[in-house]
Amino acid sequence: MIKWIRWWGILGFAAVVALIAALIIVALPFIIKASIEFVGTKVAGAKVTLDDVDVTLSPLGVRLNHLQVADARSPMQNLVEFDEAVADLELAPLLVGKAISNEVSVSNLQFHTERSESGEIIVEVVDEAESKPSLKEQTLEKLPSADEILAKETLKTPQAADDLKATWAARSEEVDAAIGAVPGQAALDNYETEITAITSGRLESLEDFNNRKARLDELKKQFKKDREAIQQARDTVQASRKELSEKLTTLKKAPGEDLTYLKDKYQLSGVGATNLTGLLFGDDAAGWAKEALYWYNRVLPYLESDDDDVAEEQDEKAPRLAGRFVHFPTSDPWPDFMIRRARLTGPFDGGQLVIEGRDITHQQAIIGHPTVFTATGEGLQKIGDLDAKLTLDHVNPKGQDVLTVAISDWKMAPLELGVAGAELASSRVKLNAIATVKNGGVDASADARVSQAKFSGDGQTVFAKELNAALKGITQFKVNAAVGGRIKNPEIKFGSDLDRQINTAISKRLSAKQDELEARLQSRLNAKVAESAGEYADELQALINMEGSLNDKLNSLKDLAGNELESFKAQQEREAKAKVAEEKAAAQAKIEEEKAAAKAKAKAEADAEKERAKNKAKDKLKSLF
Amino acid sequence: MLTLLARLFKAINSDASPGQVAFAFALAMIVGFTPFWSFLNLFVLLIVLLVRINISAFLFGAVIFSMVGYLIDPLSASLGETILTNPELRETWTELYQNEWARVSAFNNTIAMGGFVIALILLLPVTIISRLLILQYRHRLLAYVNRLRIVQVLKASKFWALYTTFAG
Repeated sequence: MIKWIRWWGILGFAAVVALIAALIIVALPFIIKASIEFVGTKVAGAKVTLDDVDVTLSPLGVRLNHLQVADARSPMQNLVEFDEAVADLELAPLLVGKAISNEVSVSNLQFHTERSESGEIIVEVVDEAESKPSLKEQTLEKLPSADEILAKETLKTPQAADDLKATWAARSEEVDAAIGAVPGQAALDNYETEITAITSGRLESLEDFNNRKARLDELKKQFKKDREAIQQARDTVQASRKELSEKLTTLKKAPGEDLTYLKDKYQLSGVGATNLTGLLFGDDAAGWAKEALYWYNRVLPYLESDDDDVAEEQDEKAPRLAGRFVHFPTSDPWPDFMIRRARLTGPFDGGQLVIEGRDITHQQAIIGHPTVFTATGEGLQKIGDLDAKLTLDHVNPKGQDVLTVAISDWKMAPLELGVAGAELASSRVKLNAIATVKNGGVDASADARVSQAKFSGDGQTVFAKELNAALKGITQFKVNAAVGGRIKNPEIKFGSDLDRQINTAISKRLSAKQDELEARLQSRLNAKVAESAGEYADELQALINMEGSLNDKLNSLKDLAGNELESFKAQQEREAKAKVAEEKAAAQAKIEEEKAAAKAKAKAEADAEKERAKNKAKDKLKSLF
Repeated sequence: MLTLLARLFKAINSDASPGQVAFAFALAMIVGFTPFWSFLNLFVLLIVLLVRINISAFLFGAVIFSMVGYLIDPLSASLGETILTNPELRETWTELYQNEWARVSAFNNTIAMGGFVIALILLLPVTIISRLLILQYRHRLLAYVNRLRIVQVLKASKFWALYTTFAG
């Protein structure tokens, strides 16, 4: 048996293990630093930097020194930074590449600190800020003008006008080209003269006939070409006229559609500007919601770990498959990354903010627990007591996240109403809010009780005075906010008894403003149509006239092409027949003439006889007396 | 690689026990068929260093079987998945899972489990076949191979110089 054992092999094995361990220990700080900066930058969308990492062997752990997370939307600011984070690490999971820490403590956590250099990274940023005007922008004083709306909105009218212009530009070239190939009136007159010359006059000989025939055939070929050109031009003109006519109709309809759209969008009723609570808190609430949603959407992809993600992860680990870890029930689960407990402290609002996290991992299905964060404020100056709890529950594939916030005594800074120069000068607010996100939908509500409210305002208009008078009698009111819809496009609604008190006064003002705005918009849109449609209506009429002219030319050419040259033989026969007919007519005339002469002679003789008889009778009568 | 081949040929051509060479070659299947950076492979390395088997044959086998392992990864993953999710074995795996050093072995990884089982199944047949092939080679082919023109050419090359160096 002993001869089978190679004792020096133990030394060799020990040397190999020691070498690997030494390499890992040396490389581990760099690996951790690079991993945190790489993953952090990916999640934050801005630079994440870490000054350095220390690895301790007993107990096994790491110390992160000065971590800065830049704000992607304001690169010269840190979203968050801390001086030091200390974390222990479990050895056994680390040997299979899983980072599990029982406790992480972060000290001197600070928010929104200045950076010495930009933390921007080159990424494609989708600008969401332009989607909708803020609530305050919709107020009476800051109501966008008709010009601003027309400049900001993508409307159908200018598009239709541009479309018509572009169509005309394209079509007019085609029409010009087609018309260019059509013979002019001078050419038609020339054709007529030539046809007359060919078809009139006597054919002197067979050669004369053949010459004329050849010229006529040549002309007919030209007529055929010209006819085709005219037909082509007519088709082009017809198609152009039809298309332009359609575009013009679209343009004429566009202002009506645009006005309907603008009236809907810049609706100043209902939950719009009459909602004074929305004016008061809308932008701030939208800002908070936007901030929360921004981070939620960044973190969400790392919380969802369904089968597709596993498959993608495996694909990324090519060239060799990495396989899948099958997990079994245990009291000590090993996800790829987990912090069992984290405690972050730092200065905030003149006091101390303490954030605690439990079971922080992106693989909650493995540990069977949701990740829970709690935030409490101690000695805060402006917001009194703060209690917030965020539960990210993705244990099951269809996760649910819940946030609750309670603020006991929030001393709100002055808030401009944006209406008639009024502002909520001071107030104390008690706030309770809960938000749930499930299956991509958000359902949130917040109840705030505002007390010791003091409004002020220096507006000089009748409306401003009326509003300020109404506001001064109000010292406390309730505000209800609700957020619903899809998380990527949430709908925020506000309700308050404050609104009910002053709603009537504001509504009148709004109605007048709305009418005024609509009238201006209508006027501007109509002007745009008149500007474009007038010019092109003339062009359209010109096309219609052109089409008629082309039809006339086509008919003329058809007539000209209908002329035929009679054959030489036919001419001879026609002339012979004409000669016979002429001779026959001359003979007939001669006969008629002779007949007439005979008749005249007979008549003259008769008349003479009659005269003689008459004279004779007279003579007889004279002889009687 | 050339050195490794030279050492391997030395082992095959010499009087080294064909069983030692064959077993070392077969043992390399475990390294080749499972994820390289694992504690299981560290354990295999310990066996290779501690037991008198041919290290060159093991290293050569590790290279060859790693390439084969790349091809049979899907099969290993599928087999591992079947074994680890088998309801009848679930209790066993759950019990083993409670031991953190068992988990360090990554037994619950589908490719590690599948590759290991394939290697275990093939360990004895490959050992036997390799041993037979080495014996047959020495008995029937060694003299013939030495007479081949290509071998003559090889003997004049760097490879042969290395071979003779290690053959001493």
